[in-house]
Amino acid sequence: MRDFKYIDLKECILKDNDGVAEEIRKLANDKNIFVWNLMSSPGAGKTTFIIRLLKRLSQDIKIGVIEGDVESTLDAEKIHAFNIPTVQLRTGGSCHLDAAMIKKAMDYLPLDELDVVIVENIGNLVCPAEFDIGADLQSMILSVPEGDDKAIKYPLMFSVCKALIVTKIDTLPCFDFDFEALEKNVRKLNHQIKIFPLSAKTGEGVEDFITFLMHEINSKIKR
Amino acid sequence: MHELPLVKSIFKSVKQKAEENNAARVVMVQLEIGVLREFVPEIIQKYWDYITPSTILENSIIDVVEIPASAQCSQCKNVYLLDLQNLFSSVCNQCGCETGTLVTGREMKIKGIQIE
Ligand SMILES: Nc1nc2c(ncn2[C@@H]2O[C@H](COP(=O)(O)OP(=O)(O)OP(=O)(O)O)[C@@H](O)[C@H]2O)c(=O)[nH]1
Ligand SMILES: [Mg+2]
Ligand SMILES: [Zn+2]
Repeated sequence: MRDFKYIDLKECILKDNDGVAEEIRKLANDKNIFVWNLMSSPGAGKTTFIIRLLKRLSQDIKIGVIEGDVESTLDAEKIHAFNIPTVQLRTGGSCHLDAAMIKKAMDYLPLDELDVVIVENIGNLVCPAEFDIGADLQSMILSVPEGDDKAIKYPLMFSVCKALIVTKIDTLPCFDFDFEALEKNVRKLNHQIKIFPLSAKTGEGVEDFITFLMHEINSKIKR
Repeated sequence: MHELPLVKSIFKSVKQKAEENNAARVVMVQLEIGVLREFVPEIIQKYWDYITPSTILENSIIDVVEIPASAQCSQCKNVYLLDLQNLFSSVCNQCGCETGTLVTGREMKIKGIQIE
C-alpha cells in the first residue's frame, strides 16, 4: 500500500521578498530615513506630483528618489534635473518593484545625507500592491480621468494604502467623476484611508497632503 | 506577469520541506490564496509543470483553496463577508454600517503538502 502523508507548511509564498523588505526597514531605521512608496496606473501623474513636492520641500528635507520603469530613463532624468539624488530601476518587463530591487537601489543613494526616499513604483494597479518593499508609507495616486470605479476593480491596491491621492482635479469639468461613490467603495475595504483630492498642475489641495506627509515623516525620523 | 517568481518561491519551500521529510515524491501542494490576489490556478499549474520535471515534485498537483474577502466593521467590530462583485452594497450584517477594514482576502500561503 502506498503511504500518503500530509505535512503542514503554513508558510507565506512571498517570504523571501518579505525578508528583504524587513532588511530595508532595518537599514532605513539605522539611517534615519523615511521610505515612501508611491503607486498608480501608468500616466496617473506620479512624476508630476513628485516634482511639485520636490520644488516645495527640498529646502526643508533631503530627498532621494528611486524611479521604477519597465523601460527608459525619462522619469529619472526629469527628477535629476532638480539636483536630487536619483536611481533609475529598469525592470525590463517586470510589472512591479520588489524588495530586492529596492535594496540594490538604496546602495546607490547617499543614505547618510537623506531624510526621505521616494519610490515611484511601476505604473500598474495590480502587482506593486503585492510586494512589500519595506516602505513606511504606502500610498497610491488615482487620477480623475481613470474613473471613480477603480476600488471595485483593483481592491487589493486600495486595501494596502494608507493614503489615496486623487489627482488631476483640474479636469473634473470634463469627466463625470463621482467622489462620493469612490469614497464609499474604498471605505468598505479600508475605512481609515486618508483621501487627498488635488491637482499637481494647479497646486490646489497639495498643501493638505504636505501637512499629512510631514506629520508621517516627523513621527518616524529625528531631525 | 509575476507568476514565475511566485512559482519558483513555492518550489523552493516545497522541495526543502519534502526533503526534510524524506519524501519519495510530492503528490499535492495545497495553497491558500485570498480572492483579492486574482491568482489564476491554471497558470500556476502550467509554470509548475514547466519547472518540476526530473525532481521529486514532478507530476504533483497544485490545489488552490480560495479564501473569501471579509471585513471588520468599523462600528461594531463584527467580521462579515464582502461581496466584491457588489462592493457598493456590502454592509455589516450585524449593524448595517457601511465601512470596515479588510481582514481576509489577501492570503498568499502554502498550507501544506501531500507526500509519499
Ligand atoms: N491636467 C492635469 N494633468 C496632469 C496632472 N498631473 C499630471 N498630469 C499630466 O499627466 C501626464 C502623465 O503624468 P506623469 O507625471 O508622467 O505620470 P506618471 O504616473 O509618472 O506616468 P508613468 O511614470 O509613465 O506611469 C502628463 O502629461 C502630465 O502633465 C494634473 O494634476 N492635472
Ligand atoms: Mg512617471
Ligand atoms: Zn457592524
